[in-house]
Amino acid sequence: MILKILLAGDGGQGIQLISDLLTQASFANGFFVSQIPNYGLEQRGGVSLSFLIISDKEISYPKFTKPDILLVMSEQARKRMDRYQNADIRMQIDDYFEKLEDQKIEKSSYNIFFLGLIAKLLEEKNILQTEQVYGLLEKKLSKKPNWEGNKNAFKLGIAD
Amino acid sequence: MQENNKKLMHGYDVVLQACHDADVQSMFGYPITPTCEILSGWMASGKKCLQTEDEIAAGFAVCGAVLAGEKSFTASSGPGHILLQDSFSMAEAMRLPAVLIIGQRGGPSSGTVIYSQQEVILACFGGNGEGLRLVYSPSSLDELYLLTRQAFNDAWQYRFPAVVLTDGYMLKTRQAVDLSVYKDLENIPAHTLVQEGKIVHWPNIYTLEEELNDELSRAKEDFDKVGEEIAKAEIYNTDEAEYLIIAHGIVGSVAKMAVDQLREQNIKVGLFRPVTLRPFPKKQLDNLFVKNNVKKIVVVESSFGQLARLVRDHLAPEIDVSFEYLQKPGLGIEVEEVIEAVGYMT
Repeated sequence: MILKILLAGDGGQGIQLISDLLTQASFANGFFVSQIPNYGLEQRGGVSLSFLIISDKEISYPKFTKPDILLVMSEQARKRMDRYQNADIRMQIDDYFEKLEDQKIEKSSYNIFFLGLIAKLLEEKNILQTEQVYGLLEKKLSKKPNWEGNKNAFKLGIAD
Repeated sequence: MQENNKKLMHGYDVVLQACHDADVQSMFGYPITPTCEILSGWMASGKKCLQTEDEIAAGFAVCGAVLAGEKSFTASSGPGHILLQDSFSMAEAMRLPAVLIIGQRGGPSSGTVIYSQQEVILACFGGNGEGLRLVYSPSSLDELYLLTRQAFNDAWQYRFPAVVLTDGYMLKTRQAVDLSVYKDLENIPAHTLVQEGKIVHWPNIYTLEEELNDELSRAKEDFDKVGEEIAKAEIYNTDEAEYLIIAHGIVGSVAKMAVDQLREQNIKVGLFRPVTLRPFPKKQLDNLFVKNNVKKIVVVESSFGQLARLVRDHLAPEIDVSFEYLQKPGLGIEVEEVIEAVGYMT
């Protein structure tokens, strides 16, 4: 089993954070993982990518050309991701805008919504449990502002 | 599945662990992506550390520390790597066991911040001298650990400055590694290079050209001797190889995966991966042509031919072989690209 996930968004949207939690949860369940960020000189506003591989065998190279799951969280990232048309599962923020606005999810929690969505997918593939990811999320963000909003975003993600 | 004693570690954590295990005493540095976490991680450890005003000062501080008998190092990248050449040339001239961890980034100038293989020539020959320094190129996190340990050992044993030449992909990647298997590795201890109370004339400046020439000739002789002991390459699947891929660092691990898949298609291809770039494993490379009927060398790298230059420089001139190149300066290289390039040639 080898699963390749490419997460793409704007710097500041929290791409690296959700990648980090998915990596930790998969590793805790005994999988080999490889996670590598990619970004430019900008602290904010540039495109931020995370290449994540989860496998039951050792991994020697952290990048790939064909993701199994691709997340695109911004217009700028979408342009960069044009070369990854071959992803099996593609999640685009545009497809969820209405839902996110209906549920009054704040922009700063969009990444957590997608974290829930991907955690659910990985649960279906028997890689991790969504509760594990929630536990890590709670540890990371519960003392920070807007925890309620993030919590709701995650729940909405796993319910989707 | 991974075993229990594996830990989730970033490349920079692996470097830090190697430095701690090598009994390194101090670090001097100036932050630059992708090596910032080595400096901040070292600071957090509470060991002796100074963030200097720039890389020039950091490099000379390392020279000073090793002169005083302290195991010391710095870490840098790209433009910082250029500034370090001044102190590193002095370390070369004075045979100082300074150690430098380089996370290559894209250039020229500030370039990009994560990855390239464009600092090969700079690491090997970047000073006003003859490149009498040791340069290691790891292809995995395990090897990053081992070669960092070795860099300190070789520097202190043979008294040449040493560079661990890696990149931001390696330093920023996070993987499951088990370093406990290396717990029995031994350290060459640091020692006082000048005894207290003794007055030693130890120049890096010469008034006579003949004097400098003599000194360099001696150093070169030592370097060639050391080279026979430490020049190292990974030679993989070269039996009956008609095509030989040459790649180093992380691209070497990509090339290895490509070799496996090409062999499954019955393409007779092997890999030569220099683990040390200085001294270059010349003998190991030449020997491959004794037994095999290699028709073509394919040099794969994330630069416009810096590794290829080293290969062509060292390959014995009587060896008759043609060259092909897959060059993507500043860009990562994927397994599929190597397979496609070699497949196309056959």
